[in-house]
Amino acid sequence: MSDSETVDFLATVPLLEGREEADLVDLARVMRRRTVREGEMLWRQGEEAREMVFIVDGGLSASLHVAGGEVEIGRAGRGETVGEIALLDGREHTMSVCAAETATVLALGRPYFTALLARRDTSSFRLKRRLASLFTAHLRNQLSHLAASLGDGTAGPPAEDAAVALSDPEYCDPPDSKYLRRMATFHDFDPVALWGFLTSGSYAQCGPRRTLLDEWAPSTAYYVTINGAVEKVLVRGNRRIRLGLAGPGRAFGYESLIDGRPSPFTAITRERVLLLVLARDPFEQLFNRDDAISHVFLDVIQRDMVATLRQTLRPHARLAASL
Amino acid sequence: MLARRGRPAVESAGTTASTIGAMCRILAYLGEPLPLRNLLFDPDNSLVRQSYSPRMMNTFLNLAGFGMQAWDPTSLRPEDPFTYRATTLPSFDHNLRSLSSKLAPTCLVAHVRGVTYSDEAVVAETNLHPFQFLGTRVVLAHNGHLRQFARMRYSLVEHVLPELAQRIEGTTDSEWIYALILSQLDDPYGRPETRELADATAAALRILRAVRAAHGIDTSSPVNLCVSTGRAAVATRFSFDYGWYPPEDEMLETDLPFVSLWYAIGGEYTQRDGDWRMTAGDPPRTVIIASEPLTTDQSSWLEVPEYSMLTAELTPAGIEFETRDLDV
Repeated sequence: MSDSETVDFLATVPLLEGREEADLVDLARVMRRRTVREGEMLWRQGEEAREMVFIVDGGLSASLHVAGGEVEIGRAGRGETVGEIALLDGREHTMSVCAAETATVLALGRPYFTALLARRDTSSFRLKRRLASLFTAHLRNQLSHLAASLGDGTAGPPAEDAAVALSDPEYCDPPDSKYLRRMATFHDFDPVALWGFLTSGSYAQCGPRRTLLDEWAPSTAYYVTINGAVEKVLVRGNRRIRLGLAGPGRAFGYESLIDGRPSPFTAITRERVLLLVLARDPFEQLFNRDDAISHVFLDVIQRDMVATLRQTLRPHARLAASL
Repeated sequence: MLARRGRPAVESAGTTASTIGAMCRILAYLGEPLPLRNLLFDPDNSLVRQSYSPRMMNTFLNLAGFGMQAWDPTSLRPEDPFTYRATTLPSFDHNLRSLSSKLAPTCLVAHVRGVTYSDEAVVAETNLHPFQFLGTRVVLAHNGHLRQFARMRYSLVEHVLPELAQRIEGTTDSEWIYALILSQLDDPYGRPETRELADATAAALRILRAVRAAHGIDTSSPVNLCVSTGRAAVATRFSFDYGWYPPEDEMLETDLPFVSLWYAIGGEYTQRDGDWRMTAGDPPRTVIIASEPLTTDQSSWLEVPEYSMLTAELTPAGIEFETRDLDV
């Protein structure tokens, strides 16, 4: 595969959509081409993540380890990427990946991928937005598999035990800034940009067991939990799968605002909560801008997406272990 | 070892008590006889290693002592557990290391204790988990802390049987939780069925919630419990008012993530090709419940969902295991 062929291929990769050709040429120089024979492992679940791969041809299979074996969770093919979650959060690989058929991949090392995101130029902001869109699609795909395990992958009634939706939130003052600065989510941000983000919306409180998002309706706002906890669940009649919590510093509700579809899960307050609430218009402004405040905003979404995708593997693993 | 006698009972010392926190690590095992060292020392994130290098607690160590209770059906009086407690660091405890190579129990509850770095914290044998009052058959270990416990402690007295309240020797909230759970059993000195033990644990949490509410205590208080009879184990991953903290709280960064709990279930926990893994087993014969996976490779482990209760019972046919939502 020549350099120009590599660049031509990279131009077709959805994650890199809209990137300047000069950027792609630079990227091609630091990527390592590799052929993986059918059945060969790229990495095992739990291993330190050193690289992600772009699939040029062939197919890869991702699987979870359960006691006594591996259970396939999904497959990826030409133009798709694998392994970026572990590069983004610096933790171990979430799944084992092997070649389902002989494949050609381009490997991108952690330092180069991190550098792509760390820049403050237009292409980096675009990459963050592309990641948000792709992760939203990944999340929907994972959740559709989980929902199918409940016996109904298409539609279902709203949660019967869900209380009244958040129709009349009790708006309140922002919390103590010292508390906000100590939250792990916000440690690394520039204080001025962080303040810009934290003052871009309203603050609202509500009690436990309140439905904030319904799986069958689009979210009208983006939320960040400041205090308390919101539980994300899939509900089908009397059956439910608990996906995980959005505790302090975790965001939710953005998926609908990114792709215009209904919320991929139902969100119910597990404790009383204090939330930062950002309506659609300010959300879209922050999502599409290329400034310091948007940098904070997009990073909060990205961190949450990565954490959410990891959380969603928990019920996958429990389900696989029970098969 | 520091003696408690002569020192102030600091956790009842008014407002300062609200800042005292304990974040520990717990481990429970139920299954076929297994050398203790396979759980305590040998895996690369063993319980003893979690005392000085916990992977899931970035700002805290667990250096205030080690305790365990282990049931061995081949020992004398097999219904009574072997008990070991020491305030020394377990990684340097040669007695513990030696015993761990000799004992192979079918049930274990073990704990490494962490306390806040404060001259008010009491490091003493009487504060070491697991707790077991003389003559009872239930033991308890706790990972977490009840914020502002000093304010609510004496309101618990009315919910604890007097003869059990008299046996509380230490200064921890955990020992009160233990006495509270025992007091919810039909016979605190008997060996309860698994369901009764689970119900008693949930009932104790409901009492704690009500007492907290009566005192206006509404800040995050993790209560990850492991309660066992030697044949069964009940574990909780739970917190009251998760995500709410007092201003300037010194435990905030530690408490922001929900306190962790994991389990591995299958045939046997064994080392193969240098790696510790749970093999497949249908029905399962072994379960390990732990604050953190015992190996850095987590692929044998499943994370317990937040606000959950696990029950596991050792039966002739294997382990009966259940996870359920804990809404108290």
